[in-house]
Amino acid sequence: MFKIIINNRLLIFGISLLFIVFFAAIFAPFLTTYDPIEISIENSLLAVSWEHPFGTDEMGRDVLTRVLFGARISLWVGAVATFYSGIFGVLFGLLSGYYQTFDSIFSRLVDGLMVFPGLIMAILLMAALGPSTNNVIIAMVILYTPRIVRVVRSSVIVIKNEDYIDSARVLGANDLRILFIHILPNAFAPLIVQVAFGFAWAILVESGMSFLGLGMPAPTPSWGNIISDGRNFIYNAPWIMIFPGLALSLAVMGLNFIGDGLRDYLDPHLQNTVRRE
Amino acid sequence: MSAYIIRRLLAFVPTLFIAVTLIFVLTRMVPGNPANALIGVRGVTAEKHDELVRQLGYDKPIPLQYIDWLKKISHGDFGTSVFFKKPVIDIIVDRFAVTLSLAGMSMIVTLVIAIPLGVFSAKKPGSILDSVVMVFSTLGVSVPIFWLGFVLMILFAVNLGWFPASGYRPISFGFYSWLERLVLPVFTLGVSQVALLVRHTRSSMLEVLDREYITTARAKGLSETKVIYKHAFRNALINIITIIGLTFALSLGGAVLVENVFAIPGIGNLVTTAAIRRDYPIIEGGIAFVTLVALVVNLLVDISYTIINPRVNYE
Repeated sequence: MFKIIINNRLLIFGISLLFIVFFAAIFAPFLTTYDPIEISIENSLLAVSWEHPFGTDEMGRDVLTRVLFGARISLWVGAVATFYSGIFGVLFGLLSGYYQTFDSIFSRLVDGLMVFPGLIMAILLMAALGPSTNNVIIAMVILYTPRIVRVVRSSVIVIKNEDYIDSARVLGANDLRILFIHILPNAFAPLIVQVAFGFAWAILVESGMSFLGLGMPAPTPSWGNIISDGRNFIYNAPWIMIFPGLALSLAVMGLNFIGDGLRDYLDPHLQNTVRRE
Repeated sequence: MSAYIIRRLLAFVPTLFIAVTLIFVLTRMVPGNPANALIGVRGVTAEKHDELVRQLGYDKPIPLQYIDWLKKISHGDFGTSVFFKKPVIDIIVDRFAVTLSLAGMSMIVTLVIAIPLGVFSAKKPGSILDSVVMVFSTLGVSVPIFWLGFVLMILFAVNLGWFPASGYRPISFGFYSWLERLVLPVFTLGVSQVALLVRHTRSSMLEVLDREYITTARAKGLSETKVIYKHAFRNALINIITIIGLTFALSLGGAVLVENVFAIPGIGNLVTTAAIRRDYPIIEGGIAFVTLVALVVNLLVDISYTIINPRVNYE
C-alpha cells in the first residue's frame, strides 16, 4: 500500500510539474504583455526587476516572455517528434517482433542506428539536412524510433508465444488483427514508459542541438536558443540563460518523474523488490 | 568462452559496416553534393568548386564513391579537411586525445561516486540517503548538460574565481594547469553519468539482494558486509558493467556539449564546427571515429562479462 502512495506521489509530482509548464505554454500570450521577438534596444540587458522578472536580453526582449513562448516551441517540437517516433516505433516494432525475416534485416539497421552516441548522430543528421524546425523533428524521429522499436519488439516476441495468441489464431484471426487487437494492447505498458522518457529526451536534445547552432533557426525562442543567446553574457547578464534552463529542467524532470512513476507502477519485478523491505 | 569472444568479434564487423554505411548515406543526402554547400563559403568560387568536386571525388557515381570511401577508411584515410587542408586522421587523433582526457577523467570520477552511492542506497531502500540519491539522480538526468556547465562556470569561475572559466592546456604544460582547467568540465559531464549509474547500481543491487542465495548467505550467519560485498555486489556487477559501457558511449555525446561550453578543442568541438562550416571529410571521419570508439567499448564490455561471470552460457 505504502508503495502505491509513493508511486502515485512521483506520478502526481511529475504531472503537476508538467501541468505548470503546459499551462505556461498554452496561456503564454495572456501571461505577459511583451512581445517575444520584437527588439527594443533601449531595454537591453536590464537586470531582474518587477517589470522584467527574468530580466531582458541583449535585444531588450523580456526573458520571461521568451521563456513562456519558448515553452510552446520546445514542447511542440518534443511532442511531435515523440509522436512520430511512437507511430513508427510501434509499426516497425510489431513487424520486427512478429515476422522473423523482416526482423533479421531490420534489426541490423536498428543496431546500426543505435551505435552512434545520440548527439553525434544528431550532428550528422543536421549537417546533412540543414537547420530548420522540421529537420530537427526529422532528426529526432530517426534517433528515437529505434529505441521504441526495441521496446515494442521485445514485448511482441514474448507475447506472440502466449496461448491466447494461439487461440486467436485458431479462431481464425488474421495477422493484422492479432498484431493490433491482441498483441499491441499487451505491449502497451513498457511502450508508454518509453514514450514519457522519449518526450523528456526530445526536449533535451532539441535544446542541445539549438545550443550548438544546429537546431532551430535563430529568432525562434526555443529554450535551447534562449540559453544559447545568453552564453555571451554570462558575466554581465547571467539571467538570460539561467531562467530558460530552469524552465527546461522543470519540464524534463516532470516527464522523467512521470516515466519513473509509471515504470515502478507497471513493472511487477520492481514491485517485488520494494515490497520485500 | 573463447568461442563466444570470437563470435562477438565477428559480429563487430557487420555492425561497424552498417554504421559506416549510414554515415556515408546521410552525408550524401545533401542535395547536389557536399561541395555545393561550400560555394560562397570562404572564397570558394565556381571554378574552385569544380576543382574541389574532383579532388573530393564527388564527380564519380555514388556507388563508386562508396567503394572508394570504404577502401580509404579501411586504411585509416579519411581524406583531407577542406578547411584545415590537413589529413583528417591527423586532426582527429590530436583532438581525440583531448576528448579522452575529459571523458576518461569524468568516467573515473563517476565510478568513484556512483557505485558506492548506489550500493549504500540499495542497502536501505526508502531511507533518507536513498531518497536523496534518487531525487538527485532524476535531477541529474533532467538538467541540460550545457546549461549546467554555464551555471557552474558562473558560480565557480566568474563569481568565486576558483577555476579558470574555460580553455584547455595539454598535460605537457604541467599537471596542475591541465587539471585546473578540467575540473569544471569533468564535473559537468559527470553529473548526468553519476545520475545514470547510481540508479542502475541501486536497481541491480536490489534485484540481486532479493535472490535466495542472499537469504542463504544471511541465514548461515555471514556478516552483512560480507553478504553485500562478496555475494551481492559481485553478482550485481554484471549488470553494472553494461551500464558503465553505455555511460561511456553517452559521455562521448555529452562531451560534444561540454567541449563547446568550455571551449575545449576536443573531437566534439571539431565535428560541430565542421558541421557548421560544412567540412564534410571532417564530419564523416570524426563521426566514424567516435562511433568506432563507442563500438570498441561495447565490445570490451561484452568480453569482460566472460571474465566476471564465467558461468553464463553464451549460446
